[in-house]
Amino acid sequence: MIRVSAEPWNAMVAHAQSTYPNECCGAMLGRVDGAEKEVLVAMRLENSSKGSQAARYELRPEDLLAADKEARSRGMDLVGIYHSHPDCGAYFSETDLKNSCPWYSFIVLSIQKGEFDHANSWLPNAEQTAAEKEELIYA
Amino acid sequence: MPKILIPTPLRQYTGKLDTVQVKGSTIGEALSDLTTQHADLRRNLYSDEGKLRSFVNVYLNDEDIRYLKKEATPVKETDTISIVPSIAGGSR
Repeated sequence: MIRVSAEPWNAMVAHAQSTYPNECCGAMLGRVDGAEKEVLVAMRLENSSKGSQAARYELRPEDLLAADKEARSRGMDLVGIYHSHPDCGAYFSETDLKNSCPWYSFIVLSIQKGEFDHANSWLPNAEQTAAEKEELIYA
Repeated sequence: MPKILIPTPLRQYTGKLDTVQVKGSTIGEALSDLTTQHADLRRNLYSDEGKLRSFVNVYLNDEDIRYLKKEATPVKETDTISIVPSIAGGSR
């Protein structure tokens, strides 16, 4: 189960709406206790995908490294990654799966006509062949 | 000794350690020592063919080892090694 506090949740939604009709991406910092995760900070990261970003995002590893360092400096953990799907559902696409990492939760925010619609959290496997839906609770 | 920073989700395989001190004079030796000390990490970092998984990047301090000498990159006692995944995606 992953729980996102109000402040980071509002920041993630605002980020996703601000980049519409393009995809946004960012890191979620917080705490992990076994399968229980709590997101306390949303950190915007640049979508470094070249070309159209309407249906693509890419994180620079060095940005992810910086997010991990930020988490450590705050005494937190890097809990997961979020990104948006403009005018699409919050599914975990084939592209998401093939470029995922099984270590983190992946929250996908569906933005319809510029407004937040719904979200899901996903846990991809190590083989990048399937992703399990994770219970998502947000304020 | 050089140290390796362990990403949160992998700490379940290192006895909750967030940093592991390793022996070795190259990145390859350091990673090998890491997976010897914590054997369950191996399948998370390496494929069945013994190659680093496609989504695993290794940084020496702030530099990607792909742009250095890859796993033959020399490491010093004071160096910090980070394990950083590649992540991308998109709705279609």
